[in-house]
Amino acid sequence: MVRSTYEKRVARQLLLILSPSLLLLLAFVIYPAVYSVYLSFTNEALTGAAALNPRFVGLRNYSRLLHDAKFWNSLLVTFLFVVGSAIIGQFVLGLISAILLRRDLAFKQLFSSIILLPNAAPEVVAGFMWISMLAGGENATLSRIVMFFGMTPTDWLQTFPLTMIIVVNTWRGIATAMILLTAGLSTIPSEVYEAARMDGANPSQIFRRITLPLMMPTILLYMLISAVSTIAVFGLVYALTRGGPGGATEVISIYIYNQSFTAFQLGYGAAVAVVALVISLILGIAYVRAMKVQV
Amino acid sequence: MNRTALVGLCAITLSAFATLAQAETIRIANHGQAGINAMKSTVARIEKKYGITVEVVEYPSPDKDYMTKLLTELGAGNAPDIFSAPTTAYVADMVAAGYLAPIGAEFKAWDGYANFYDVAKQLAVSPDGETYVMPFMLGIQEIYFRRDVLDKAGISTEQPKDWADLLARAAEIKEKTGAYGLLFPAGVSWGTGAFDEGFQHLLVGSKTPQLATDDGKLDLTGEGVKDVFGVYKELIDKDLMPTQPLLGPEPWVIPKYQMFPEGKLAATTCGSWCYIFDWGRESKNPIPDVEKVVGTWTIPGQTGGQYVLANLAAPWGVNAKAENLELAKKVLMEIGSVETQVSYAVQIGNIPASKAAAQDPEFQKLTELVPIHAAAENGVYLKQAAGFATVAEGVARATEALLRKETDAAGAQQILVDYAREILGEEAVK
Repeated sequence: MVRSTYEKRVARQLLLILSPSLLLLLAFVIYPAVYSVYLSFTNEALTGAAALNPRFVGLRNYSRLLHDAKFWNSLLVTFLFVVGSAIIGQFVLGLISAILLRRDLAFKQLFSSIILLPNAAPEVVAGFMWISMLAGGENATLSRIVMFFGMTPTDWLQTFPLTMIIVVNTWRGIATAMILLTAGLSTIPSEVYEAARMDGANPSQIFRRITLPLMMPTILLYMLISAVSTIAVFGLVYALTRGGPGGATEVISIYIYNQSFTAFQLGYGAAVAVVALVISLILGIAYVRAMKVQV
Repeated sequence: MNRTALVGLCAITLSAFATLAQAETIRIANHGQAGINAMKSTVARIEKKYGITVEVVEYPSPDKDYMTKLLTELGAGNAPDIFSAPTTAYVADMVAAGYLAPIGAEFKAWDGYANFYDVAKQLAVSPDGETYVMPFMLGIQEIYFRRDVLDKAGISTEQPKDWADLLARAAEIKEKTGAYGLLFPAGVSWGTGAFDEGFQHLLVGSKTPQLATDDGKLDLTGEGVKDVFGVYKELIDKDLMPTQPLLGPEPWVIPKYQMFPEGKLAATTCGSWCYIFDWGRESKNPIPDVEKVVGTWTIPGQTGGQYVLANLAAPWGVNAKAENLELAKKVLMEIGSVETQVSYAVQIGNIPASKAAAQDPEFQKLTELVPIHAAAENGVYLKQAAGFATVAEGVARATEALLRKETDAAGAQQILVDYAREILGEEAVK
């Protein structure tokens, strides 16, 4: 009986301590998400008659999505963007950086600082900086470099728009990947490597049989964070291309913005946002299951 | 106790006075440094005349970003008391959304009303017959051409008679000089410019010159619409207009600020401001002797005639939810004064909508604008309808497909129709 009263008191205290966070979550995460779901069933708009008298339209927005080629294009662009920049670019380069930084390299600290620098620049500033490097004409940085090697310069953001945003996002995300993967690497006991070397394992075998399997939980955690955050990337792409040319870089976040704030169709934009949320949730659940972690 | 009650009472009274004082503040949305500068003397005059405080709220400069923020605030019910729309195209939709207070009675009773050009008055009338905006400035576009480039190559600088003549001239320029012959704004990155600064100017001279039907619907299936896209198609397919820069994030920069001054683009549509700000005395890359070197053509009709299409530039309106509607409307009339119009003409290069500006000594100094102001007497206009902002975006998408050579004129028209139907619903589009 005494124990039960104590537990109740602890439970009340916990609730009290957690209530500010719960309230904040409710106000700024749960409520907007639920409201977005509600909006997606209406024809709510920022202007026109629907702004004055929005109507419940049932599943019309979702049915429109199915036939909207631009929506499917944005999903494809997002998939390529996530795979190219988060899964391949950031992960591979982050892992290489993490492995290199475990060794006694000359200029190790300078190397780490260079990798961390992209995170110091705000997204939009980084975007404009890259515009000056990738612009058309003979004065842009990349054009000068290729001209030095006797190649023809081009307007990189026009000719290879998706590749360029993948490169820029990779550049920006290496630091996060490196930090997480360095943490993962540091959890592998050095004795395991020593034992492997004594057994005659070569570096490739050590990497494939020891490093990768032992780092798998960290890699999966990184993949989860990276994939979900890359789906939500907006500022960088908006500053670089605004989704153009011709929708070639219209990732889903830009598509949601364009529908909601360029076409002013809040209801339809909300429907796209709900689909993006569901995709992120599915990805999250898949990764969590893969990690076999109880959440 | 009594002392405490007295202090409390004083606090409540002070707070009430403070609230009352706040009610006499009028908030005005403005964007772009030039617009804010143009409004400075007007703000001081209003504050002095009505004994109120005018708070100028600065908004993002690009039109699209400005409208996004403004419409979001209007939707949320916390927008400023007075604001402008970038062009006429947004007004009918803002009226339908209930954002704008009617000002017809005050505008007509105002002593400045009689001096406004008819085209300005008519452009300010919404589809429901009421006036909701002060049509204080006009946007008038023409084709600006490099007279020196054409003269040197022996190409006629006479006003083109019709579309065929205009296209033939562009082809001749390309053939004889290697320069691009003509630019009409196009593509999504140019925003509403594809419609406002290009498409509609050709449309008014086409076989189907209006988009709004008598019953308030949009007719986008007219032959004229397809023919206008056909002009774009020909310019693009024959490489008479630069396409690659138009697909970038700031499509106007390379053609207008680099290619035209360098003579690599020989003709382009542009507004009255171009003589001053794009290539003239206020430009970062001026063309020496610009008024002699650069000539203008009005936009010819499909089979003849000349069209001076007028658009409202930044029409101002009163928030329907303004705390003090009467005061806000009085302030709006001050914004419509000739003095403010001339101030905007000086700062931005648009054309005052009042004929009285012609007698203003400050306006007379703007020699580049005086003849264009006079030409507004013969201005024509597109009848407004709800959904014009959507049409502008649809034209941008359709012309982008043409720029990318993904479709033909009929396909571009279909893109426009499909987009308008998708956004506005079947019932809004004929």
